[in-house]
Amino acid sequence: MPLHEHDALVIGAGLSGLRTAIELADHLDVAVLTKVHPLRSHSVAAQGGINAAMSEDDSWKSHAFDTVKGSDYLADQDVVELLTREAPSAVIENEQWGTAFSRTEDGRIAQRPFGGAAFPRTCYAADKTGHNLLHTTFEQALRKGVRFYHEWFVTSLVRDKERICGLTALEIATGDIHGFVAKAVVLATGGFGRVYGHSTNAIINTGDGCALALRVGAPLKDMEFIQFHPTCLHGSAILITEGARGEGGYLVNAKGERFMSRYAPEKMELAPRDIVARAIQTEVKEGRGFDGGHVHLDLRHLGKERIMERLPGIREICIHFGGMDPIDDPIPIKPGQHYSMGGIHCDKHGVTPVAGLYAVGENACMSVHGANRLGGNSLLETLVFSKIVGQMAGEYAEKCPAPKGTCVEEETHRMRERLQALLLRETGESVSEIREEMGEIMDRLVGVYRVQDELESGLKRIRELKEKFGNIEVGDGDRRFNYALIRALELENMLDLAEVITMGALMRRESRGAHWRTDFPARDDDQFLKHSVFMLVDDWIKTEYIDVNLGEFEVKERTY
Amino acid sequence: MFVRIARSRDGGAITHYDLYKIAPTKGMTVLDALFQIQDKMDPSLSFRYSCRGAVCGSCGMLINKEPRLACRTQLSEVQTQDMKLKPFASLTDRPTGWNPEKEILVEPLPNLPIEKDLIVDMSRFYDALEKLKLWVDPVEGDEPRTQSPDDRRKIERYVNCIMCAICYGSCPVNAEREEYVGPAALAKTWRFYEDSRTDDPERFVRAARSAEGAPLCDLIMNCVKACPKGVAPGGAIRKMKD
Repeated sequence: MPLHEHDALVIGAGLSGLRTAIELADHLDVAVLTKVHPLRSHSVAAQGGINAAMSEDDSWKSHAFDTVKGSDYLADQDVVELLTREAPSAVIENEQWGTAFSRTEDGRIAQRPFGGAAFPRTCYAADKTGHNLLHTTFEQALRKGVRFYHEWFVTSLVRDKERICGLTALEIATGDIHGFVAKAVVLATGGFGRVYGHSTNAIINTGDGCALALRVGAPLKDMEFIQFHPTCLHGSAILITEGARGEGGYLVNAKGERFMSRYAPEKMELAPRDIVARAIQTEVKEGRGFDGGHVHLDLRHLGKERIMERLPGIREICIHFGGMDPIDDPIPIKPGQHYSMGGIHCDKHGVTPVAGLYAVGENACMSVHGANRLGGNSLLETLVFSKIVGQMAGEYAEKCPAPKGTCVEEETHRMRERLQALLLRETGESVSEIREEMGEIMDRLVGVYRVQDELESGLKRIRELKEKFGNIEVGDGDRRFNYALIRALELENMLDLAEVITMGALMRRESRGAHWRTDFPARDDDQFLKHSVFMLVDDWIKTEYIDVNLGEFEVKERTY
Repeated sequence: MFVRIARSRDGGAITHYDLYKIAPTKGMTVLDALFQIQDKMDPSLSFRYSCRGAVCGSCGMLINKEPRLACRTQLSEVQTQDMKLKPFASLTDRPTGWNPEKEILVEPLPNLPIEKDLIVDMSRFYDALEKLKLWVDPVEGDEPRTQSPDDRRKIERYVNCIMCAICYGSCPVNAEREEYVGPAALAKTWRFYEDSRTDDPERFVRAARSAEGAPLCDLIMNCVKACPKGVAPGGAIRKMKD
């Protein structure tokens, strides 16, 4: 089978991948590889909105300060400046492409209050903002004639001593392994929420890009910082947007108290997510939750009209997945994994330590969210940085010669043999059992509250599962549309990340943002105002700490 | 609880049905049941999935002879619901042995070629978006356009489309005429035509009125009844035909 050749390859077709490809399409031969059709990407599920200081009374500096404080001062301030300065133009670009933002009476883009923000600066399209942005951005990618490889699963990245040379990928429809030669590769595969059992993320969010990067020698960063969203529907863990609290929803415990007054007397329900998630966990732990370990998000006082106009998607979710209507009843909610602040170590231009390899969006760690991301900043991150990363990857690809195909060809043969052997194995460990156990371990031992002995036991058990994975049986030998194989490969990726997350949590002996150690409940700036960096060396993970890019916002105590 | 699932290893046509006994839990959806089967009983079963929350549009399939999103369909509700669709062959042909009292029947979405099991080839459906050029030609300038809340409301219904192709799979015209672009693509042309910000709205209606578009619609309205998002393409197509 001949090798495919392109100037640049983008892996993933959510907002980050699509916008990167649009940027590259004008000058270069770019192709996007994605394991699902672009419209099925998880960006589609983002609900509440996208932050931008659009009004005269607001400023990028105020947005930047909120972001840095929200990050518990771990965000790199130069990256935050870029994010917040460029925010309005990212929103305006998508408006001009046709996104149907909700509007104020005088026709401007409407903005709602969001957690941890000093100003109502979250632009939205009802409670389907990600859906609207993704469909619009996909339309523009079609207009540009971007080349897609739909339903292709990337199996490995290929590099020589100096730089990236391409990748290997499995065509899901045929089961064939193909080699791709490219000068630049941009990873935009989203988060790794499915490492946890209880997650708002799509089933496809398995951190493929992070695992691919780690294996090719690119470091990961700040992996212990996992965001737990406070309001996930009890049961299925489907997200109930922060916008529901932005519109005025109350959090209420089983005693009928608006308990946030105990944790964030000023901001109440609109404190940042890490604080609200811990508050809910504490209420439940201290016996003030409802049976089943949840609390209520009450929207009833907003009234039918406002719920129907501003939160129609939330109402649909409650009716179809929760068996209740928020117009008549409070929503049963509890915290669940939601977002990965950590990811592939790169700078604000997406440049990783491997020449030609770039990262953008949730799988990247620039770091713009530090220890805790503010709601409304993730959609923003995708659109602002994918444009920049597209430009950087384009400039790189334009000036460097095409890599030789030899190493890609060798890796393609190796991958083909490896997967054939895997499919031929007739007995072994169950993929779904390992996956379920991993989720259970991560939920219970590496969750909202963490402690030394639990983390140690979690790490031991994750490593045992990695051993077990070496003896799995896929269970289906067919080549075409073999989703049992895809789920096995995804699990392999997730196990690698689960190990790194747990190691990071174990080594960070402080509490900062979303990472809370009950045995080290204070922030320790002397030792840990640092990014953790994880690198695969031979067969083990090497960890080190690097400095945070501080700036004009002074590191202070964080209260709301 | 039993689930009877259409199988097609090599694609083309359904070759047989497999019957699985699943352990139902409270609130279990058809998609949950498919995962239970794939995980615990039969890893060879192929189907598409992603968000499991009715926003990504991956898992449209025929469930008890009605096109639905598997993730949004609770097992406990399947037998009591009735979309009252106008019948055509895929909706009326009953596999031998199916006992509707005891078994939930799951088949691939009609009107698109079967690739394997519950996976259909969506190319025709996606190609319509490019054929009709369903995108905006960007405006120049640094300012966002304004739009009144009332004008925004006019397109609300249509921008909610998740491109799941359930309308396409429910349409008796799509069942017979491969060339018909189908309800979702036409609803999207109307979304751009009705958008107060669109520079050249006529281009979209011209595209919709081409030979493979609105003229082929017989206003049967199965799309309106089957749409899981309340998009109601049929209403928009009726206006285009006028």
